[in-house]
Amino acid sequence: MLFWVIAAILTLGASLAVLIPLASGSKGGTASSDHDLEVYRDQLSELDLDVARGLIQPAEAEEARAEIARRILRLDNAADKSAARQPSMATRLVATAAVLAVPLVSWGLYSQLGSPDLPSQPLSERLAKNPADSSVEELVARAEAHLAANPSDGRGWGVLAPVYLRTQRFSDAVTAYRNAIRLDGDSAARQAGLGEAIASAAGGIVSADAQAAFEAALKLDPANPKASFYLAMGMAQEGRTEQATAVWQKMLAALPQDSAWRGAVEQALAESAKQNVASGVPAKGPDAANVDAASSMSPQDREAMINTMVAGLDERLRQNPRDAEGWMQLIRSYVVLGKADQARDALNRGIAVFGSDSEEAKKFTAFAISLGLTATE
Amino acid sequence: MVETGHFALVLAFALSLVQTLVPMFGAHMNNQKMMAVGGPVAVTGFTLTALSFAALAIAYATSDFSVANVWDNSHSLQPLIYKITGTWGNHEGSMLLWVLILTFFGALVAAFGRNLPAALRANVLAVQGAIGATFFLFILATSNPFARLNPAPIEGRDLNPILQDLGLAIHPPLLYLGYVGFSICFSFSVAALIEGRIDASWARWVRPWTLVAWMFLTGGIAMGSYWAYYELGWGGFWFWDPVENASFMPWLGGTALLHSAIVMEKRSALKIWTLLLAILTFSLSLLGTFLVRSGVLTSVHAFATDPTRGVFILCILTLFIGGSLALFALRASRLTAGGLFHPISREGALVLNNLFLTTATATVLIGTLYPLAVEAVSADKISVGAPFFNLTFGPLMVPLLVVVPFGPLLAWKRGDIFAVAQRLMAAFAAALLAVLVTALFIDGASVFAALGVGLAFWLICGALTDIAVKSGFGTVAPGVMLRRFAGLPRSVFGTALAHLGLGLTTLGIVGTLCFGTEKILSMHAGETVQLSGHMLRFEGLYPAQGPNYSEDRGRFALLGADGSTTAVITSAKRSYPVRQMTTTESGIKTIGFSQLYLSLGDEGTDGSVVVRLWWKPLVTLIWGGGLVMMAGAAMSLMDRRLRVGAPSRRRKSAGAVPSASLL
Repeated sequence: MLFWVIAAILTLGASLAVLIPLASGSKGGTASSDHDLEVYRDQLSELDLDVARGLIQPAEAEEARAEIARRILRLDNAADKSAARQPSMATRLVATAAVLAVPLVSWGLYSQLGSPDLPSQPLSERLAKNPADSSVEELVARAEAHLAANPSDGRGWGVLAPVYLRTQRFSDAVTAYRNAIRLDGDSAARQAGLGEAIASAAGGIVSADAQAAFEAALKLDPANPKASFYLAMGMAQEGRTEQATAVWQKMLAALPQDSAWRGAVEQALAESAKQNVASGVPAKGPDAANVDAASSMSPQDREAMINTMVAGLDERLRQNPRDAEGWMQLIRSYVVLGKADQARDALNRGIAVFGSDSEEAKKFTAFAISLGLTATE
Repeated sequence: MVETGHFALVLAFALSLVQTLVPMFGAHMNNQKMMAVGGPVAVTGFTLTALSFAALAIAYATSDFSVANVWDNSHSLQPLIYKITGTWGNHEGSMLLWVLILTFFGALVAAFGRNLPAALRANVLAVQGAIGATFFLFILATSNPFARLNPAPIEGRDLNPILQDLGLAIHPPLLYLGYVGFSICFSFSVAALIEGRIDASWARWVRPWTLVAWMFLTGGIAMGSYWAYYELGWGGFWFWDPVENASFMPWLGGTALLHSAIVMEKRSALKIWTLLLAILTFSLSLLGTFLVRSGVLTSVHAFATDPTRGVFILCILTLFIGGSLALFALRASRLTAGGLFHPISREGALVLNNLFLTTATATVLIGTLYPLAVEAVSADKISVGAPFFNLTFGPLMVPLLVVVPFGPLLAWKRGDIFAVAQRLMAAFAAALLAVLVTALFIDGASVFAALGVGLAFWLICGALTDIAVKSGFGTVAPGVMLRRFAGLPRSVFGTALAHLGLGLTTLGIVGTLCFGTEKILSMHAGETVQLSGHMLRFEGLYPAQGPNYSEDRGRFALLGADGSTTAVITSAKRSYPVRQMTTTESGIKTIGFSQLYLSLGDEGTDGSVVVRLWWKPLVTLIWGGGLVMMAGAAMSLMDRRLRVGAPSRRRKSAGAVPSASLL
């Protein structure tokens, strides 16, 4: 409501700025020849000063004086030729249109562009309002602000960690769980949560870190369903499907009827059975599959894969050579792979792309030096 | 508050339409009431734009992430100063700043333009309103800073770390004051063309605006150059980067305009040329805005992928440049030519200045646009770098700088070049001495370096000679000389200061380019390095935490002759987690006018770090000269001549202006 009042007042003020000059009595304006005469007079007096200061020779000053005098004469001839025309119908029409245009254009345009119902939302106000009215995001931000000020509040971390997990901020969840465990003590729920956060951050892969966390949780509470479930998932991912199925079936038998985990376990069992029939490979996203492939490869295979990736980068830089970051990545990759010649070649090519005295070239050289490489053999 | 700002912006657009049409129609019909509309509307329009800008700035200061623009360019952890400067650290906000300054200048004309002929004032405000209207439309249609997000995100995406610097608080506002200041000169020119006559007071009115715009543009460019120098960590002060050229071209054009406006004001000559220059200078400002804002500089193809903004600005560009030049072609023949002069005269010298400056502008324009043209036609990316500009711009500038000291000493209409040369003998001797001292006493000084130093001294001493000659040094008694000195018009001091500043900048550039040294090496903590007689010890890297970044600070101790620490220089590598960007904070120690500059490179595996060191002799004079030029412009602005032209006010005191008070 307040906004509409302000908008109305602003519109009124703007319309008045147009209306008042149009409605007020006509002032007789000064003719432009009066202005000109004033300037010419001043030029004449200045000419005297310039002569006194030796900035113009007397003969030239006379000439200049004559020039100015001629201009003044021309002025008198031209003066007062034009008189104000009477206000016609057209002028009145234009004046009315101008006054009306201000509210019409502004309100019309604003109704298309604006969001009048959306109030301002300064961050401090959002964080200060009643928690019951806040969104999850706002509550999280509030807790973060609190923890930034009191980083040793272990309970705070413990409260925040599962929220992070639910809002898919997995790496924040990992940090929060670690802080909670460090500051506020161990518990099965926290260790299991930490494991879940690590696994989720890795796209569902139960890594060694996650496994350690789940095992710690089971040590504290052997019946923790989350830990058991994920450990079995880890086994399935390693290809030990039968062991995994056994764990899940045991869980299904032990879990109470109303447990939230029953559904998850049943689904996992169904999926592992399906995959056993189809291909024997657990379903994963393409990215996770690549990483997983790399981690389960033999050292030779892994190096081959890295070589392919570096070759891919090299190829990409041949197509798009103006990529300073890319060149540095390539140089570093070759150095890491122990291929000094190719690293040097990449360095020289990179320098050639940007020109040998460019800033990039200097950056490459410095970078290569820092890797223990020199530009020319 | 946000929506109030949005509404105020829309209202300002509506008013700018009225400001364009009503006064122009009034001037055409010779209707005083309609012409009078321009003033109040311009002032109200400025007030509304300021309100709108304030609303956006408050949204930034309070981290109101319900505004998409704030969410995209701000973060709640930033220090307050960077939150506020972030308002114009992005496309939308900077365009709002652009129109804010545009309407501000319009309001200034309305407020201080009472002594202008009514028709001229009405037309100037109308043209100013037209520029405003197109840019308001551009903002509302393609880059609305008040677009909202609902529900609002809880955290923003942070401001580009390179912009999180005090430079952002100073550089863009100064630069825009310069760019947009030339819009007034443009409006005056177009108004004169519309009327088909140039009032005698025209040049007196245009010159202060040119001075104001030129002063701010000089400051903006100098500040931008210094900012790039210390923030980018490359140690360079000018890169002939297209974005830099975009601001340099209006400066060159504006400098030419400044000088031709003098001739027009004093002698009523060069009218048509001055008009054209005013149009061209603002056109270059618009071109600069287009080049920077359309994204065409990063790549012609980037422009093609998001064309709305670029095409819109291109249309504005075509409308104003094409329109004004067409008007010029139609009307220029109706304007009367002014006073006569001989080739060797003050006027002649200023024409020479104009020839050189406009040619130099054309060179920079070609160097900037040619790569874009090639890329657009053939998809090849070529770059026209420093070598092109050194070969073309340099040779044009040197003769211009050589003749600069002659200009102010030449008489109007017909000058005596030999008499002036005699007066400049002392300056010439000083310059020659500087050349000899440089060549003989500084190791490794090339002939070019010595001549460069000589040129700088020639400019500096030439500027001082100007003041000395005009106050009668050596020809009158000291008492008389002092009185004459005090009585010199402010514009004489302004000229001398500006030329002095030019000399200082030249000296700084020559000093840095010819005598600077640099080293790149890998250092361990405790190691020392020597550069041009300065001994530095690397103390080590220390991690530190900022409000929204973490950094590794490298500490370096500057050692005195006895091995004790005389100063500590810190350079840092900052990492901003939100944008996942790192920046280099260079470490700078100013010694006299020179600077020791160092920046950190990458860390090696063995705990060593790459360090780049520069010794930059006289480097601060580059920007110091810019400040002196600004002071010269400010001094010229105080000249009484610029306030003449009001019949009513002058009438009363016409008899009471004794020439003694002027001397």
